Amino acid sequence: MPSPLSCARLTAWTVAAVALQILGLSLFVFGFFPVKPTLRGFSGLESYRMPTCNSTSDGKETELPPDQLRSLYKEISKIPPSYDRLILMVIDGLPAEFVLGRDEKPPNKAMIEAMPYMQSLLTNGKATAYHAKAAPPTVTMPRLKAMVSGAIGGFLDVALNFNTQAFLDDNLLDQFYRIGWKLVMLGDETWIKLFPKLFTRQDGVSSFYVKDTVGVDLNVSRHLDVELAAEDWDFLILHYLGLDHVGHIGGRQSILMAPKLKEMDEVIKMIHVRNILYQGNATSRTLLVVVSDHGMTDGGNHGGSSYEETDSLLLFIGLGSKGSNYSPYAHKAFQVDIAPTLALLFGVPIPKNNIGVMLPKMLDSLTDEQKLRALELNAWQLLRLLQAHLPGLLCGDLRCGGDGQSLQINGSTGRIKEKFCHLFSKATAAHNMWQLRQGSSFTSNTDDLRIAVESYYDFLRSASEWLSRRATDKPINLLLSGIAIMLISCFLLLILLFFLLREVYFTQTESCSQLKESRRSCHIDEIFVFIGIIIHVLSFTSSSMVEEEQYTWHFLTSTLHLLFLFSAIQLLFKRQASKRREEELTPHQSCISVASSIPMINNENYKISSVLVVLFCARVLRGWHQGGVNWVHLPDVSKLLVQAGSFIIKVLHIISLLIVMMPSLFALSIVRLKRGFVFLVSLSHFVSGFLVLLHIIENQSDNMVPINQSAASIAQIFYINIGSTVMLTVLASPWVVPIPCQETHMMTQTSLNCHSTNMRSDSLLLGFQDCTYMIGTTYVASWCLLQLLLQQPINAIPVLLIFLQLLACMIYFSIDGSHHKQCVEVASIYFLGMAGHFGLGNSNSLATIDVAGAFIGISSYSTVLSGILMFMITYASPMLSFLSMVMYISMKNTRYFSLPNKSKWSCMLEMKLAFPCLLPLVLNSVVLTAFTIILLLMRNHLFVWSVFSPKYLYICAATVCVYIGVFIIATTGFYTSIVLSFRTKRLKPEVHNFLFKFQ
Amino acid sequence: MGKIQISASKAFALHFLCAAALAAGYCLARDVYALNLISDPAQTLRLLLVFEGPVVIGIYSWIRRDPDSCSYLKAVGRGLLGLPIGASINAFGAIVLGAPIGIKYLTKTIYWSFLMSLFTFVPASCVFGKSRMDWQRILAHSKPMEGVDYMISLPAHGAVIGAWLGAWPMPLDWERPWQEWPICVTYGSVAGYLVGMLASSVFILILRRQDPVKVD
Repeated sequence: MPSPLSCARLTAWTVAAVALQILGLSLFVFGFFPVKPTLRGFSGLESYRMPTCNSTSDGKETELPPDQLRSLYKEISKIPPSYDRLILMVIDGLPAEFVLGRDEKPPNKAMIEAMPYMQSLLTNGKATAYHAKAAPPTVTMPRLKAMVSGAIGGFLDVALNFNTQAFLDDNLLDQFYRIGWKLVMLGDETWIKLFPKLFTRQDGVSSFYVKDTVGVDLNVSRHLDVELAAEDWDFLILHYLGLDHVGHIGGRQSILMAPKLKEMDEVIKMIHVRNILYQGNATSRTLLVVVSDHGMTDGGNHGGSSYEETDSLLLFIGLGSKGSNYSPYAHKAFQVDIAPTLALLFGVPIPKNNIGVMLPKMLDSLTDEQKLRALELNAWQLLRLLQAHLPGLLCGDLRCGGDGQSLQINGSTGRIKEKFCHLFSKATAAHNMWQLRQGSSFTSNTDDLRIAVESYYDFLRSASEWLSRRATDKPINLLLSGIAIMLISCFLLLILLFFLLREVYFTQTESCSQLKESRRSCHIDEIFVFIGIIIHVLSFTSSSMVEEEQYTWHFLTSTLHLLFLFSAIQLLFKRQASKRREEELTPHQSCISVASSIPMINNENYKISSVLVVLFCARVLRGWHQGGVNWVHLPDVSKLLVQAGSFIIKVLHIISLLIVMMPSLFALSIVRLKRGFVFLVSLSHFVSGFLVLLHIIENQSDNMVPINQSAASIAQIFYINIGSTVMLTVLASPWVVPIPCQETHMMTQTSLNCHSTNMRSDSLLLGFQDCTYMIGTTYVASWCLLQLLLQQPINAIPVLLIFLQLLACMIYFSIDGSHHKQCVEVASIYFLGMAGHFGLGNSNSLATIDVAGAFIGISSYSTVLSGILMFMITYASPMLSFLSMVMYISMKNTRYFSLPNKSKWSCMLEMKLAFPCLLPLVLNSVVLTAFTIILLLMRNHLFVWSVFSPKYLYICAATVCVYIGVFIIATTGFYTSIVLSFRTKRLKPEVHNFLFKFQ
Repeated sequence: MGKIQISASKAFALHFLCAAALAAGYCLARDVYALNLISDPAQTLRLLLVFEGPVVIGIYSWIRRDPDSCSYLKAVGRGLLGLPIGASINAFGAIVLGAPIGIKYLTKTIYWSFLMSLFTFVPASCVFGKSRMDWQRILAHSKPMEGVDYMISLPAHGAVIGAWLGAWPMPLDWERPWQEWPICVTYGSVAGYLVGMLASSVFILILRRQDPVKVD
């Protein structure tokens, strides 16, 4: 790139970099969070019919009463349920290796001794055991979901229903509930979170206290005597957490492990003896299924995808005695196979999104015909799911199985379709063949049966494998290319910033040698911004630093402003020193000594006090919400206020409204535009403030009524009013601003520090400053009022504090111009915005999003509108910082940009807008790119789903916020300058000529 | 100006005394009173203060800038006066950066800020007194630094930067007792102070080498 950056070139490159970033980000997001098509609703009667080409489920799913539904299922499935009652015993974190050994070898002796009863069941063939491979993330809740639904969920469907943790997809428990089963749950309360309404009786245990290894299990076992004797339940879930906790404390080799295994063995023995061997009446047959949700590493952790973690146990007890002619330690299965197996054994439809396959050993108790029927049902269900992934599968040609080779199919999906089609029709053909033979001759033809079963399994296994790969595989090429593109974009932005810095500051230091000295002494804040960003990025590698990010931001922001304070004090001393030197020596000419007079020292005091305001507000903000994860319980101001009662909160809300109104009205009143226009805008602000006040009072009077009609209409009027005010101001103010060519002596507060010498050449600049000042003030004031309406009442003071911080910061920067580099100032405003984001009580977990505020003033439910409001509430503070940057560019004296030989307005645009637009993009891009790489590296980390992925969603939303903010800044500046230059050209041609000559 | 030029060996000895006082205080706390920073931060900090305070004030009053116009006792008095002022500045900084406010932490914060004051503000106040010129020089770097300036500013900067870095492990969820305020911050500042003293000795040594004319 050539060194002089023109405005157009800078814009073009920036836009290109942003476009690249969006492209890379979307590639990565689609690769990392695969959005797989899931089927809504619950399997019903249609699952007993062959899927057709356009398998739109006929919506006339009649709501049958449970008993009728149960008998109907029994009738049309043609498989009578093998069992009547089910006990599902989940032992959290038990690796299958403990029970079944590894690599077809029996487990070690200590383990066998620890679980004598289970081993005796296995060797006598009374139990069928599997190594059930769990899919990552190997943490409890997703694993439970996989077990009961047979599906492997993505992250986004967890993230997107952040309102409720309840499990809404089709699953076994709901299917059982539909046929009138009574469900009882004892143990981990995750089950209650997933299925809040299903259980007849429940006793949840929190898995929060990891140090407790005894109480969590006693709490389950103490109910066993009663529950095992009770006749009223059909499905009993026992979830033992103790073993997982033992692992977390001491790892696999913990001394507590053997006693815990012994305890589990006792429970199994008790259930087996009481409910399976000696059943009260012969009609009720009970099946005991012992499963573990995941394994554990040697150190006792889990979450990743190593063999030790994914190797979980699946044990069926109560299948009736079979010959023990096989090794009990050999079978392998998948955790998702539990769902279809249990569904078929108990005569309910297989859950819709299941990707599991009926376990072969479990077929042995069925007759030949039932076996094939069960496989057929499983195949139909998978076929339906495949159709969702591959639209058009099975359409039209059932010939494809026979001579499909002749078909011209393009692409890999075509080949996959063809393959499944082929496998399925082969299986159906074998099934039909067997039925024909069975019908015609009564000779038992085991060969046909074997072929049919095998071909069904061929289809089922390949379909299941393909589906599970689709669900879990992260296409590494896609991820890497996304990251590469983001890196390119990040580097592009950094290079742009570098060129801009070089251009601006090299010309500056050449022109003014004295500034060089001040630049050197202020260097520490630039270095700090750089180091702070690096530390911030590095802190992302630690999950707890991500959880507690608010401390990082507050620490960095406050340190930066302490440095500002320090440099202001330094400057004070330096000014005094140079003054004294001047008195001693002969006065010599330099930039600083001209400026350093008595009022400047006064200015230093203003500077110091405004930084003190920023620091004070920051400290209060930090204490307002005890955010994060680990220290949420500690006392903070907001908790104190909630205890103090709603009246005080309301009063504070009103007070903060008044305090916000005052500076904004004052700021508007000093604008040098046409009086009438300013009056109009101020009036409309006043009306907005009054509406917010009304809304606060309205909410106070009837707190009980959930939907308050009058409050909603007040909010709507407010939206209209504030929207029209902002639009009016933005569109009209460049047209009404006086173009101050002749009246240079009239200086406004907006351009406090204009040197009067080169005033004349800057008429356009002055107009621009007045105009953006007006627009910026309107933006900031309107946004604050909007936030006072939308945010929770407890957040009113923090909104005020952020507002004051930004104002103080801008005053600090506008007094006595060029003492910090502009990039440091923009960075500090950006930092304030981010620190304020956490000061408003946000965190990096999805739980802190304020959902309630998203419905203020919305009369009917609309996802888009409430989504926008939710975004506005969550990103209130960063957005405010961007809006205040419009105000900042108007107050900032940027005269030291000396860029000759350029067309006027584009040159002005560059010097005004380059840093405020480019720097947030650069900062955000660095964070985004770095965190993307960290997320890729951490994809097998224990907390990837609970900590890193939510943070990634926040970062993506913050990126959107930066784009919007920068867009607003750029368009406002662009529009204003175009209108102004148009007016200058048209109205004052002679002045324009003069100016042109001058420049 | 430059009435006292300090030799490298003297600077090193003085720094060594300061470090030794800290070490003695820590050892006494550990061995005699069976205290350490983790078990009882307030008491330990107080003990460190008792040991470090007289040594720092004594040493830096001895190398005061204006030995002719100002007696030794007066310099000590300046140091004692500077102690609470520096403590309040340090406490302000700590609280702004997020140190907890509350009765529980009050004594710890006070002792910590007094210790920080010994590291940062007291030496300067002992040496400079109310000489505006010297303060300007050390704060605004408007004139080249001298040996004593290094002795004052490098350990002070080291202590502040060390304390700043020492605060970083606090939000981590390791559940270690030393993550409490002000334990790891104290560790950080002491480490930074020691590094700063080492650096200042080295700097003075280099200064001597470059500028042998100035040796008295």
